Amino acid sequence: MCGIAGVVYKDGKIHPVGDALTKMLDALQHRGPDSAGFAIYGGLGLSKNEYLLNIEIKESPGLLEEVKNTVNLITPIEKEEIIPSVENFIIYRCKVSLNSFSELKPLIMRIDKIDDVIVLNGSHSFEMIKDVGLVKDIAARYDTQDKMGTHAIGHTRFSTESIVDRYHAHPFQSYIIPDITVVHNGQITNYWKIRDPLERKGHIFETTNDTECIVHYIADKLNEGYKLEEALEQSVKDMDGPYSYIVGTPNGVGIAKDQLGLRPGVLAENDELFAIASEEVALREVLDTHDIEQISPGEARAYTI
Amino acid sequence: MQEYIIDAHNKTPREVNQEIKKSAKKNDKIIIKNPNAMHYIAAGLTEPIEVLIDGSAGYFAGTMIHGAKIHINGNAGWFPGDNMTEGELIIDGSAGDGVGQGIYGGTVVVKRDAGSRTGEIMKEGNIIIGGNSGFMSGLFMMGGRIIVLGNISDDAGESIIRGAIYVKGKIKSLGKNAKIEEINEEDEKELKEILNSQGFDLTDTDYKDFKKIIPRSKRPFYGKESEEG
Repeated sequence: MCGIAGVVYKDGKIHPVGDALTKMLDALQHRGPDSAGFAIYGGLGLSKNEYLLNIEIKESPGLLEEVKNTVNLITPIEKEEIIPSVENFIIYRCKVSLNSFSELKPLIMRIDKIDDVIVLNGSHSFEMIKDVGLVKDIAARYDTQDKMGTHAIGHTRFSTESIVDRYHAHPFQSYIIPDITVVHNGQITNYWKIRDPLERKGHIFETTNDTECIVHYIADKLNEGYKLEEALEQSVKDMDGPYSYIVGTPNGVGIAKDQLGLRPGVLAENDELFAIASEEVALREVLDTHDIEQISPGEARAYTI
Repeated sequence: MQEYIIDAHNKTPREVNQEIKKSAKKNDKIIIKNPNAMHYIAAGLTEPIEVLIDGSAGYFAGTMIHGAKIHINGNAGWFPGDNMTEGELIIDGSAGDGVGQGIYGGTVVVKRDAGSRTGEIMKEGNIIIGGNSGFMSGLFMMGGRIIVLGNISDDAGESIIRGAIYVKGKIKSLGKNAKIEEINEEDEKELKEILNSQGFDLTDTDYKDFKKIIPRSKRPFYGKESEEG
Protein backbone atom coordinates (compact mmCIF):
# COMPACT_ATOMS: atom_id res chain seq x y z
CA MET A 1 0.00 0.00 0.00
CA CYS A 2 2.64 2.58 1.14
CA GLY A 3 2.14 6.14 2.35
CA ILE A 4 3.74 9.16 0.70
CA ALA A 5 3.97 12.75 1.87
CA GLY A 6 5.62 16.02 0.94
CA VAL A 7 5.62 19.51 2.39
CA VAL A 8 7.05 22.87 1.28
CA TYR A 9 7.35 26.11 3.26
CA LYS A 10 6.52 28.66 0.61
CA ASP A 11 8.73 31.45 1.96
CA GLY A 12 11.83 29.37 1.23
CA LYS A 13 13.13 29.93 4.76
CA ILE A 14 14.26 27.35 7.29
CA HIS A 15 11.44 25.81 9.37
CA PRO A 16 11.02 22.71 11.57
CA VAL A 17 10.14 20.65 8.51
CA GLY A 18 11.44 17.44 10.11
CA ASP A 19 8.82 17.73 12.82
CA ALA A 20 6.11 18.39 10.24
CA LEU A 21 7.07 15.42 8.07
CA THR A 22 7.48 13.09 11.05
CA LYS A 23 3.91 13.85 12.08
CA MET A 24 2.66 13.36 8.52
CA LEU A 25 4.39 10.00 8.18
CA ASP A 26 3.28 8.83 11.60
CA ALA A 27 -0.30 9.57 10.50
CA LEU A 28 0.32 7.34 7.46
CA GLN A 29 1.89 4.51 9.45
CA HIS A 30 -1.11 2.23 8.79
CA ARG A 31 -0.24 2.29 5.07
CA GLY A 32 3.09 0.53 5.56
CA PRO A 33 4.96 -0.88 8.56
CA ASP A 34 8.13 -2.19 6.88
CA SER A 35 10.34 0.87 6.65
CA ALA A 36 10.17 4.64 6.50
CA GLY A 37 12.25 7.42 5.10
CA PHE A 38 12.78 11.16 4.89
CA ALA A 39 14.52 13.49 2.44
CA ILE A 40 14.81 16.82 4.22
CA TYR A 41 15.98 19.66 2.00
CA GLY A 42 17.57 22.99 2.78
CA GLY A 43 18.91 22.43 6.29
CA LEU A 44 22.32 20.82 5.82
CA GLY A 45 24.22 24.06 5.22
CA LEU A 46 27.06 22.39 3.31
CA SER A 47 29.53 24.51 1.39
CA LYS A 48 30.02 24.15 -2.35
CA ASN A 49 31.33 20.69 -3.30
CA GLU A 50 30.73 19.30 0.20
CA TYR A 51 28.70 16.09 0.45
CA LEU A 52 27.20 14.01 3.23
CA LEU A 53 27.44 10.22 2.92
CA ASN A 54 25.16 7.80 4.77
CA ILE A 55 26.78 4.39 4.87
CA GLU A 56 25.25 1.21 6.27
CA ILE A 57 27.93 -0.97 7.87
CA LYS A 58 27.54 -4.36 9.51
CA GLU A 59 28.87 -4.45 13.06
CA SER A 60 32.00 -6.46 12.37
CA PRO A 61 35.57 -5.98 13.67
CA GLY A 62 37.66 -3.72 11.44
CA LEU A 63 34.90 -2.98 8.92
CA LEU A 64 34.31 0.64 9.97
CA GLU A 65 38.06 1.31 9.75
CA GLU A 66 38.16 -0.24 6.27
CA VAL A 67 35.40 2.10 5.16
CA LYS A 68 37.15 5.13 6.63
CA ASN A 69 40.43 4.14 4.98
CA THR A 70 38.70 3.70 1.62
CA VAL A 71 37.09 7.13 1.83
CA ASN A 72 40.25 8.81 3.08
CA LEU A 73 42.22 7.41 0.16
CA ILE A 74 39.93 9.35 -2.18
CA THR A 75 39.13 12.41 -0.09
CA PRO A 76 39.73 13.24 3.58
CA ILE A 77 36.84 12.72 5.96
CA GLU A 78 36.04 16.15 7.38
CA LYS A 79 33.36 15.24 9.93
CA GLU A 80 31.82 11.97 11.07
CA GLU A 81 29.02 10.52 13.17
CA ILE A 82 27.87 7.01 14.04
CA ILE A 83 24.16 6.30 14.44
CA PRO A 84 23.27 2.92 15.94
CA SER A 85 20.59 1.08 14.00
CA VAL A 86 18.98 -2.36 14.33
CA GLU A 87 19.85 -5.89 13.18
CA ASN A 88 23.61 -5.48 13.91
CA PHE A 89 24.11 -2.54 11.61
CA ILE A 90 25.31 1.00 12.18
CA ILE A 91 24.88 4.06 10.01
CA TYR A 92 28.16 5.86 9.49
CA ARG A 93 27.78 9.45 8.38
CA CYS A 94 30.67 11.44 7.05
CA LYS A 95 31.20 14.76 5.35
CA VAL A 96 33.64 14.94 2.46
CA SER A 97 34.64 17.42 -0.25
CA LEU A 98 34.86 16.53 -3.92
CA ASN A 99 36.05 18.48 -6.93
CA SER A 100 32.69 18.10 -8.59
CA PHE A 101 29.36 16.27 -8.37
CA SER A 102 30.53 13.85 -11.05
CA GLU A 103 32.94 12.31 -8.50
CA LEU A 104 30.15 11.39 -6.08
CA LYS A 105 28.75 8.28 -7.77
CA PRO A 106 32.22 6.76 -8.42
CA LEU A 107 33.07 7.30 -4.72
CA ILE A 108 29.83 5.58 -3.69
CA MET A 109 30.51 2.66 -6.05
CA ARG A 110 34.02 2.28 -4.64
CA ILE A 111 32.72 2.07 -1.06
CA ASP A 112 29.96 -0.34 -2.14
CA LYS A 113 32.62 -2.85 -3.20
CA ILE A 114 33.38 -3.57 0.48
CA ASP A 115 31.42 -6.61 1.70
CA ASP A 116 28.62 -5.92 4.20
CA VAL A 117 28.77 -2.21 3.41
CA ILE A 118 26.37 -0.17 1.30
CA VAL A 119 26.11 3.56 0.79
CA LEU A 120 22.51 4.52 1.41
CA ASN A 121 23.03 7.88 -0.25
CA GLY A 122 25.27 10.85 -0.84
CA SER A 123 23.82 14.35 -0.97
CA HIS A 124 24.60 18.03 -0.94
CA SER A 125 21.35 19.89 -0.34
CA PHE A 126 19.24 17.37 1.57
CA GLU A 127 19.52 14.94 4.44
CA MET A 128 18.42 11.38 3.79
CA ILE A 129 17.14 9.35 6.71
CA LYS A 130 15.73 5.90 6.01
CA ASP A 131 15.58 2.73 8.01
CA VAL A 132 13.52 -0.38 8.65
CA GLY A 133 10.71 -0.30 11.20
CA LEU A 134 8.11 2.16 12.35
CA VAL A 135 8.15 5.93 11.92
CA LYS A 136 8.23 6.71 15.64
CA ASP A 137 11.19 4.40 16.23
CA ILE A 138 13.13 5.79 13.28
CA ALA A 139 12.24 9.34 14.36
CA ALA A 140 13.66 8.66 17.82
CA ARG A 141 16.78 7.00 16.39
CA TYR A 142 17.61 9.87 14.03
CA ASP A 143 15.99 12.85 15.85
CA THR A 144 13.94 13.64 12.76
CA GLN A 145 11.70 16.01 14.71
CA ASP A 146 14.65 18.35 15.29
CA LYS A 147 15.61 18.60 11.63
CA MET A 148 15.24 22.00 10.01
CA GLY A 149 14.75 22.78 6.35
CA THR A 150 12.65 24.33 3.62
CA HIS A 151 10.84 21.26 2.26
CA ALA A 152 10.80 17.51 2.55
CA ILE A 153 9.33 14.27 1.23
CA GLY A 154 8.80 10.99 3.04
CA HIS A 155 7.43 7.47 2.91
CA THR A 156 6.03 4.58 4.91
CA ARG A 157 6.61 1.30 3.09
CA PHE A 158 4.46 -1.78 2.59
CA SER A 159 6.83 -3.81 0.46
CA THR A 160 5.45 -5.68 -2.54
CA GLU A 161 8.17 -5.93 -5.19
CA SER A 162 11.52 -6.06 -3.43
CA ILE A 163 13.14 -6.90 -0.12
CA VAL A 164 12.79 -4.97 3.11
CA ASP A 165 16.06 -3.33 4.08
CA ARG A 166 17.48 0.15 4.50
CA TYR A 167 18.63 0.48 0.92
CA HIS A 168 15.22 -0.47 -0.48
CA ALA A 169 13.45 1.91 1.90
CA HIS A 170 12.27 5.07 0.16
CA PRO A 171 13.26 7.75 -0.77
CA PHE A 172 15.31 6.53 -3.70
CA GLN A 173 17.88 8.90 -5.15
CA SER A 174 19.34 9.43 -8.61
CA TYR A 175 22.83 10.70 -9.32
CA ILE A 176 22.15 11.80 -12.90
CA ILE A 177 21.84 15.32 -11.50
CA PRO A 178 22.28 16.34 -7.84
CA ASP A 179 19.79 15.63 -5.11
CA ILE A 180 16.71 14.21 -6.82
CA THR A 181 14.61 11.87 -4.66
CA VAL A 182 11.36 9.93 -5.08
CA VAL A 183 8.87 8.24 -2.77
CA HIS A 184 6.28 6.02 -4.39
CA ASN A 185 3.05 4.12 -3.77
CA GLY A 186 2.22 1.53 -6.40
CA GLN A 187 3.77 -0.41 -9.26
CA ILE A 188 5.22 0.55 -12.66
CA THR A 189 4.06 -2.30 -14.88
CA ASN A 190 6.10 -1.31 -17.97
CA TYR A 191 9.21 -1.12 -15.80
CA TRP A 192 11.63 -2.66 -18.33
CA LYS A 193 10.33 -0.45 -21.12
CA ILE A 194 11.16 2.60 -19.00
CA ARG A 195 14.46 1.23 -17.69
CA ASP A 196 15.95 0.05 -20.97
CA PRO A 197 16.37 3.46 -22.70
CA LEU A 198 17.72 4.96 -19.47
CA GLU A 199 20.38 2.24 -19.24
CA ARG A 200 21.26 2.74 -22.90
CA LYS A 201 21.98 6.37 -21.99
CA GLY A 202 24.43 5.12 -19.37
CA HIS A 203 22.38 5.58 -16.24
CA ILE A 204 23.23 3.06 -13.52
CA PHE A 205 20.54 0.95 -11.84
CA GLU A 206 21.44 -0.61 -8.48
CA THR A 207 18.16 -2.49 -7.85
CA THR A 208 15.13 -3.87 -9.67
CA ASN A 209 12.87 -1.70 -7.55
CA ASP A 210 10.49 0.32 -9.74
CA THR A 211 10.90 3.41 -7.52
CA GLU A 212 14.55 3.58 -8.54
CA CYS A 213 13.35 3.52 -12.14
CA ILE A 214 11.08 6.53 -11.50
CA VAL A 215 13.79 8.60 -9.85
CA HIS A 216 16.22 8.03 -12.75
CA TYR A 217 13.46 8.78 -15.26
CA ILE A 218 12.65 12.12 -13.57
CA ALA A 219 16.32 13.05 -13.09
CA ASP A 220 16.96 12.27 -16.76
CA LYS A 221 14.05 14.48 -17.83
CA LEU A 222 15.22 17.34 -15.58
CA ASN A 223 18.70 16.90 -17.01
CA GLU A 224 17.22 17.29 -20.50
CA GLY A 225 15.75 20.64 -19.51
CA TYR A 226 12.20 19.70 -18.50
CA LYS A 227 10.70 21.71 -15.65
CA LEU A 228 9.60 19.56 -12.71
CA GLU A 229 5.90 19.73 -13.60
CA GLU A 230 6.67 18.93 -17.26
CA ALA A 231 8.74 15.90 -16.25
CA LEU A 232 5.90 14.67 -14.04
CA GLU A 233 3.33 15.18 -16.82
CA GLN A 234 5.48 13.27 -19.30
CA SER A 235 5.94 10.41 -16.80
CA VAL A 236 2.20 9.92 -16.57
CA LYS A 237 2.08 9.46 -20.34
CA ASP A 238 5.05 7.08 -20.39
CA MET A 239 4.52 4.93 -17.29
CA ASP A 240 1.82 2.27 -16.95
CA GLY A 241 0.43 0.74 -13.79
CA PRO A 242 -1.19 1.93 -10.59
CA TYR A 243 0.92 4.57 -8.90
CA SER A 244 1.23 7.90 -7.22
CA TYR A 245 4.63 9.27 -6.40
CA ILE A 246 6.27 12.40 -4.99
CA VAL A 247 9.53 13.90 -6.21
CA GLY A 248 11.87 16.03 -4.14
CA THR A 249 14.35 18.43 -5.77
CA PRO A 250 16.60 21.12 -4.25
CA ASN A 251 13.89 23.65 -5.16
CA GLY A 252 10.60 21.95 -4.42
CA VAL A 253 8.33 18.92 -4.55
CA GLY A 254 5.85 17.47 -7.02
CA ILE A 255 3.31 14.66 -7.28
CA ALA A 256 2.04 12.56 -10.18
CA LYS A 257 -0.76 10.04 -10.32
CA ASP A 258 -1.44 7.28 -12.88
CA GLN A 259 -3.97 7.80 -15.64
CA LEU A 260 -6.57 5.49 -14.10
CA GLY A 261 -6.26 7.07 -10.68
CA LEU A 262 -5.62 3.78 -8.94
CA ARG A 263 -3.48 5.16 -6.12
CA PRO A 264 -4.45 8.06 -3.86
CA GLY A 265 -3.10 11.58 -3.66
CA VAL A 266 -4.48 14.65 -1.89
CA LEU A 267 -3.27 18.23 -1.70
CA ALA A 268 -3.87 21.23 0.52
CA GLU A 269 -2.19 24.60 0.79
CA ASN A 270 -2.38 27.99 2.43
CA ASP A 271 -0.19 31.10 2.29
CA GLU A 272 2.59 29.36 4.22
CA LEU A 273 2.50 25.70 3.19
CA PHE A 274 2.04 23.39 0.24
CA ALA A 275 1.36 19.82 1.38
CA ILE A 276 0.69 16.58 -0.50
CA ALA A 277 0.07 13.07 0.79
CA SER A 278 -1.69 9.76 0.32
CA GLU A 279 -4.45 10.69 2.75
CA GLU A 280 -6.07 13.70 4.38
CA VAL A 281 -5.03 12.46 7.81
CA ALA A 282 -1.43 13.42 7.00
CA LEU A 283 -2.34 16.86 5.66
CA ARG A 284 -4.27 17.63 8.81
CA GLU A 285 -1.07 17.28 10.81
CA VAL A 286 0.31 20.42 9.16
CA LEU A 287 -2.71 22.36 7.88
CA ASP A 288 -5.94 23.24 9.64
CA THR A 289 -8.24 23.25 6.63
CA HIS A 290 -11.14 21.37 5.13
CA ASP A 291 -10.11 22.44 1.61
CA ILE A 292 -8.63 19.15 0.51
CA GLU A 293 -8.04 18.66 -3.21
CA GLN A 294 -8.03 15.20 -4.78
CA ILE A 295 -5.26 14.73 -7.33
CA SER A 296 -7.07 13.61 -10.49
CA PRO A 297 -6.09 10.57 -12.58
CA GLY A 298 -3.15 11.49 -14.77
CA GLU A 299 -2.61 14.79 -12.98
CA ALA A 300 0.75 16.22 -11.95
CA ARG A 301 1.27 19.08 -9.51
CA ALA A 302 4.43 20.74 -8.26
CA TYR A 303 5.52 23.58 -6.03
CA THR A 304 8.96 25.13 -6.37
CA ILE A 305 10.52 27.83 -4.20
CA MET B 1 -33.30 13.06 22.06
CA GLN B 2 -30.59 11.13 23.82
CA GLU B 3 -27.08 11.87 22.56
CA TYR B 4 -23.88 9.98 23.12
CA ILE B 5 -20.42 11.44 22.47
CA ILE B 6 -17.45 9.33 21.43
CA ASP B 7 -14.00 10.92 21.47
CA ALA B 8 -12.05 9.11 18.74
CA HIS B 9 -8.73 10.62 19.80
CA ASN B 10 -6.21 7.88 20.57
CA LYS B 11 -8.73 5.15 19.69
CA THR B 12 -8.46 2.61 16.88
CA PRO B 13 -11.23 2.31 14.25
CA ARG B 14 -12.20 -1.01 15.80
CA GLU B 15 -12.58 0.56 19.25
CA VAL B 16 -14.63 3.46 17.87
CA ASN B 17 -16.90 1.14 15.89
CA GLN B 18 -17.44 -1.17 18.84
CA GLU B 19 -18.46 1.86 20.91
CA ILE B 20 -20.78 3.09 18.13
CA LYS B 21 -22.53 -0.28 17.87
CA LYS B 22 -22.90 -0.62 21.62
CA SER B 23 -24.22 2.91 22.17
CA ALA B 24 -26.48 2.82 19.08
CA LYS B 25 -28.89 0.49 20.84
CA LYS B 26 -29.52 2.91 23.72
CA ASN B 27 -29.29 6.37 22.12
CA ASP B 28 -30.87 8.45 19.37
CA LYS B 29 -27.77 10.23 18.18
CA ILE B 30 -24.04 9.59 18.34
CA ILE B 31 -21.46 12.35 17.92
CA ILE B 32 -17.92 11.34 16.98
CA LYS B 33 -15.43 13.97 18.14
CA ASN B 34 -11.84 14.18 16.81
CA PRO B 35 -12.30 11.70 13.94
CA ASN B 36 -9.10 13.05 12.32
CA ALA B 37 -9.81 11.39 8.94
CA MET B 38 -9.96 7.93 10.55
CA HIS B 39 -10.86 5.02 8.25
CA TYR B 40 -13.92 2.70 8.52
CA ILE B 41 -15.98 4.90 10.86
CA ALA B 42 -19.46 3.40 11.43
CA ALA B 43 -18.68 0.39 9.23
CA GLY B 44 -21.49 -2.15 9.25
CA LEU B 45 -23.82 -0.10 11.46
CA THR B 46 -27.32 -1.56 11.20
CA GLU B 47 -29.18 0.55 13.79
CA PRO B 48 -31.36 3.36 12.34
CA ILE B 49 -29.55 6.02 14.34
CA GLU B 50 -28.19 9.51 13.63
CA VAL B 51 -24.41 9.79 13.62
CA LEU B 52 -22.55 13.08 13.40
CA ILE B 53 -18.88 12.78 12.48
CA ASP B 54 -17.52 16.09 13.71
CA GLY B 55 -14.61 16.54 11.28
CA SER B 56 -13.21 14.57 8.39
CA ALA B 57 -13.49 10.81 7.85
CA GLY B 58 -11.00 8.57 6.05
CA TYR B 59 -11.69 5.60 3.78
CA PHE B 60 -14.93 3.54 3.79
CA ALA B 61 -16.93 5.90 6.03
CA GLY B 62 -20.34 4.33 6.60
CA THR B 63 -19.52 1.23 4.57
CA MET B 64 -22.30 -1.41 4.62
CA ILE B 65 -24.66 0.62 6.79
CA HIS B 66 -28.35 -0.30 6.84
CA GLY B 67 -30.61 2.52 7.98
CA ALA B 68 -28.28 4.90 9.80
CA LYS B 69 -28.19 8.61 8.95
CA ILE B 70 -24.59 9.75 8.99
CA HIS B 71 -23.51 13.36 8.64
CA ILE B 72 -19.83 14.19 8.12
CA ASN B 73 -19.18 17.89 8.57
CA GLY B 74 -15.70 17.65 7.02
CA ASN B 75 -14.38 15.63 4.08
CA ALA B 76 -14.34 11.90 3.35
CA GLY B 77 -11.64 9.75 1.77
CA TRP B 78 -12.14 6.86 -0.67
CA PHE B 79 -15.34 4.79 -0.87
CA PRO B 80 -17.75 6.61 1.49
CA GLY B 81 -21.05 4.69 1.77
CA ASP B 82 -19.56 1.65 0.04
CA ASN B 83 -22.15 -1.15 -0.36
CA MET B 84 -24.71 0.51 1.91
CA THR B 85 -28.22 -0.89 1.64
CA GLU B 86 -30.37 1.76 3.33
CA GLY B 87 -29.87 5.07 5.09
CA GLU B 88 -28.14 8.35 4.39
CA LEU B 89 -24.56 9.61 4.27
CA ILE B 90 -24.15 13.38 3.96
CA ILE B 91 -20.67 14.83 3.47
CA ASP B 92 -20.39 18.59 3.80
CA GLY B 93 -16.93 18.79 2.21
CA SER B 94 -15.26 16.91 -0.61
CA ALA B 95 -14.71 13.17 -1.05
CA GLY B 96 -12.18 10.89 -2.67
CA ASP B 97 -12.63 8.12 -5.22
CA GLY B 98 -15.47 5.61 -5.32
CA VAL B 99 -18.22 7.61 -3.59
CA GLY B 100 -21.18 5.27 -3.06
CA GLN B 101 -19.38 2.31 -4.62
CA GLY B 102 -21.77 -0.62 -5.07
CA ILE B 103 -24.66 0.81 -3.04
CA TYR B 104 -27.88 -1.20 -2.98
CA GLY B 105 -30.01 1.66 -1.65
CA GLY B 106 -30.06 4.84 0.40
CA THR B 107 -28.58 8.23 -0.41
CA VAL B 108 -25.03 9.53 -0.47
CA VAL B 109 -24.52 13.30 -0.74
CA VAL B 110 -21.20 15.08 -1.26
CA LYS B 111 -21.70 18.83 -1.07
CA ARG B 112 -18.45 19.68 -2.86
CA ASP B 113 -16.26 17.77 -5.37
CA ALA B 114 -15.86 14.00 -5.58
CA GLY B 115 -12.93 12.00 -6.98
CA SER B 116 -12.99 9.29 -9.64
CA ARG B 117 -15.38 6.38 -10.21
CA THR B 118 -18.32 7.85 -8.29
CA GLY B 119 -21.12 5.27 -8.03
CA GLU B 120 -19.13 2.44 -9.62
CA ILE B 121 -21.13 -0.82 -9.70
CA MET B 122 -24.02 0.79 -7.78
CA LYS B 123 -27.26 -1.15 -7.98
CA GLU B 124 -29.87 1.20 -6.53
CA GLY B 125 -30.13 4.37 -4.45
CA ASN B 126 -29.10 7.96 -5.10
CA ILE B 127 -25.75 9.70 -5.15
CA ILE B 128 -25.65 13.50 -5.30
CA ILE B 129 -22.44 15.42 -5.96
CA GLY B 130 -22.76 19.15 -5.31
CA GLY B 131 -19.55 19.98 -7.19
CA ASN B 132 -17.63 18.11 -9.86
CA SER B 133 -17.33 14.35 -10.22
CA GLY B 134 -14.16 12.70 -11.54
CA PHE B 135 -13.02 10.17 -14.11
CA MET B 136 -15.26 7.15 -14.98
CA SER B 137 -18.17 8.21 -12.78
CA GLY B 138 -20.88 5.54 -13.02
CA LEU B 139 -18.39 2.82 -13.99
CA PHE B 140 -20.33 -0.46 -14.52
CA MET B 141 -23.37 1.21 -12.93
CA MET B 142 -26.27 -1.24 -12.66
CA GLY B 143 -29.06 0.94 -11.32
CA GLY B 144 -30.01 3.99 -9.29
CA ARG B 145 -29.19 7.63 -9.93
CA ILE B 146 -26.11 9.79 -9.82
CA ILE B 147 -26.79 13.52 -9.85
CA VAL B 148 -23.86 15.85 -10.49
CA LEU B 149 -24.44 19.57 -10.08
CA GLY B 150 -21.01 20.52 -11.41
CA ASN B 151 -19.03 19.01 -14.27
CA ILE B 152 -18.33 15.34 -14.90
CA SER B 153 -14.91 14.22 -16.11
CA ASP B 154 -13.74 11.77 -18.80
CA ASP B 155 -15.45 8.48 -19.65
CA ALA B 156 -18.68 9.26 -17.79
CA GLY B 157 -20.90 6.19 -17.54
CA GLU B 158 -18.15 3.79 -18.65
CA SER B 159 -19.82 0.42 -19.36
CA ILE B 160 -23.05 1.55 -17.70
CA ILE B 161 -25.70 -1.20 -17.79
CA ARG B 162 -28.70 0.37 -16.01
CA GLY B 163 -29.52 3.53 -14.08
CA ALA B 164 -28.93 7.15 -15.02
CA ILE B 165 -26.43 9.94 -14.41
CA TYR B 166 -27.86 13.45 -14.39
CA VAL B 167 -25.31 16.19 -15.03
CA LYS B 168 -25.98 19.91 -14.71
CA GLY B 169 -22.54 21.05 -15.86
CA LYS B 170 -20.26 19.93 -18.67
CA ILE B 171 -19.73 16.31 -19.69
CA LYS B 172 -16.07 16.00 -20.67
CA SER B 173 -16.45 12.67 -22.49
CA LEU B 174 -18.59 9.56 -22.44
CA GLY B 175 -17.48 6.04 -21.65
CA LYS B 176 -18.25 2.94 -23.67
CA ASN B 177 -21.98 2.11 -23.82
CA ALA B 178 -23.02 5.55 -22.56
CA LYS B 179 -25.15 8.07 -24.40
CA ILE B 180 -26.64 11.47 -23.59
CA GLU B 181 -30.36 12.26 -23.60
CA GLU B 182 -32.34 15.35 -22.75
CA ILE B 183 -34.26 15.03 -19.50
CA ASN B 184 -38.05 14.81 -19.64
CA GLU B 185 -40.71 16.19 -17.29
CA GLU B 186 -40.70 13.08 -15.18
CA ASP B 187 -36.94 13.28 -14.74
CA GLU B 188 -37.20 16.94 -13.78
CA LYS B 189 -39.90 16.18 -11.22
CA GLU B 190 -37.80 13.41 -9.68
CA LEU B 191 -34.69 15.60 -9.61
CA LYS B 192 -36.61 18.40 -7.88
CA GLU B 193 -37.96 16.04 -5.24
CA ILE B 194 -34.57 14.51 -4.53
CA LEU B 195 -32.56 17.72 -4.56
CA ASN B 196 -35.12 19.72 -2.56
CA SER B 197 -35.18 16.98 0.07
CA GLN B 198 -31.41 17.38 0.45
CA GLY B 199 -31.54 21.17 0.68
CA PHE B 200 -30.19 22.00 -2.79
CA ASP B 201 -31.88 25.20 -3.88
CA LEU B 202 -32.02 25.27 -7.68
CA THR B 203 -34.19 27.47 -9.87
CA ASP B 204 -36.47 26.15 -12.61
CA THR B 205 -33.96 27.48 -15.15
CA ASP B 206 -31.19 25.49 -13.46
CA TYR B 207 -33.14 22.27 -14.02
CA LYS B 208 -33.23 22.94 -17.76
CA ASP B 209 -29.41 22.56 -17.81
CA PHE B 210 -29.48 18.89 -16.80
CA LYS B 211 -28.54 16.18 -19.28
CA LYS B 212 -29.04 12.49 -18.66
CA ILE B 213 -26.42 9.80 -19.32
CA ILE B 214 -27.93 6.38 -19.85
CA PRO B 215 -26.85 3.03 -21.36
CA ARG B 216 -26.84 2.58 -25.12
CA SER B 217 -27.56 -1.10 -24.68
CA LYS B 218 -28.54 -3.37 -21.81
CA ARG B 219 -26.39 -6.15 -23.28
CA PRO B 220 -23.28 -4.30 -24.45
CA PHE B 221 -20.73 -7.10 -24.26
CA TYR B 222 -22.03 -10.35 -25.76
CA GLY B 223 -25.76 -9.91 -26.37
CA LYS B 224 -27.54 -9.04 -29.59
CA GLU B 225 -29.99 -6.18 -30.02
CA SER B 226 -32.81 -8.71 -30.50
CA GLU B 227 -32.07 -10.16 -27.06
CA GLU B 228 -32.53 -6.88 -25.22
CA GLY B 229 -35.46 -6.46 -22.92
